[in-house]
Amino acid sequence: MEQIVLKPEILGFYKQLPITNTLLVSWVAMIILIIVSAVATWRIKTIPSGLQNFLEMIVEFGYKTVEDLSGSKRAKVFFPIVMTFFLLIVTSNWLGLLPGFGTIKYGGEPLLRSINSDLNMTLSLALLSAVMTHFFAIYYLGLSNYLKRWFSLQFFPVFLFVGILEIVSEFTKIVSLSFRLFGNIFAGEVVLSTVASIFAFVVPLPFYFLEIIVGFVQAAVFMMLTLVFMVLLSEKHATEEQR
Amino acid sequence: MDILNQFGVQPILLAAQVVNFFILLFILKKLLYGPILKVLEARRKKIEESLKNAEEIEKKLQETDEQSEKIIANTLQQSQKILDETKEAAAQILEDANNSAANIIERAHVQALEAIKTERIILERETKEHLGDLVVLAFEKVTGKKVTREDQERMIEKEVRNLS
Repeated sequence: MEQIVLKPEILGFYKQLPITNTLLVSWVAMIILIIVSAVATWRIKTIPSGLQNFLEMIVEFGYKTVEDLSGSKRAKVFFPIVMTFFLLIVTSNWLGLLPGFGTIKYGGEPLLRSINSDLNMTLSLALLSAVMTHFFAIYYLGLSNYLKRWFSLQFFPVFLFVGILEIVSEFTKIVSLSFRLFGNIFAGEVVLSTVASIFAFVVPLPFYFLEIIVGFVQAAVFMMLTLVFMVLLSEKHATEEQR
Repeated sequence: MDILNQFGVQPILLAAQVVNFFILLFILKKLLYGPILKVLEARRKKIEESLKNAEEIEKKLQETDEQSEKIIANTLQQSQKILDETKEAAAQILEDANNSAANIIERAHVQALEAIKTERIILERETKEHLGDLVVLAFEKVTGKKVTREDQERMIEKEVRNLS
């Protein structure tokens, strides 16, 4: 049975940058995404076919979802970000299910490893999501309105406490986003390798199906949560509007 | 931050992934979202336009139908009018002709009567003239004497004397 390691394995160094196997796979995922979209839109036609049709479906669905939640003005800004989150996560999750992941060795370490089974990757995505959410909040509300959310001008203890809670919840968001994705995918990897080590034929198949679903669901959850946070924070506070 | 170390979190790796994400975001925006959203919008517009065009065409068709019907109705009405007018004119012409014919006949009648009258007068006069000659001729035959102008004058004188 494979040894379960939380840390990503370092394959080598490029100057100061350690090249981990997850970083390598994330480049592969990026390249796959870029090539697929380039091929799909190479000769874009009004009457779509094949790959263009498929990607159009995904993009249109994503855009409609974003538009429904945020309105068409903010959708133009939010859509590329959340859609990129979704595409990157779903691609890397499914990529990690391919044979060769964890089994091909390079200098004694697995060459390929599912991207999101490394906390580095999920944490960076979660941090990005949080930073961009707050950036858009400031952009759409203005700095003073943005700060009012956390620091109430009314020196009433309850509001002060609510502000503190809100700040804590913002950090919780980062932790929950990153650990949810990481935990799901890492657990999936563990389950798959465990089951495969018990009996490698046929038996892991249901778990693979499960992991396909989990990979999609986690990507969708990450995308939707990021979108909802962005929409909520960049919206004027209901009580602010009433005053 | 011991827990982060346990998970192997390194700031440089976080940064690398952030950079990856932004590169991907930029490229996908250029390659995927932009073109596809553009083409979707273009298609939506095209469909909208086509639907509008179809509606317009239908409206125009209906209008044309209505117009042609109107034109046909108009034409029918006009032809009926022309027909009526023609009938009236024909009737008028017929009446006029009848009237003038009657006039002509009457005039002819009057003229004929006049001509007959004149003829008769001339005839009477001629007859009178001839009657004198006839009397003279008959007298000659009875008396066997040629009546000359002197005899006539004598006879007239004698009669005149008798009368006085």
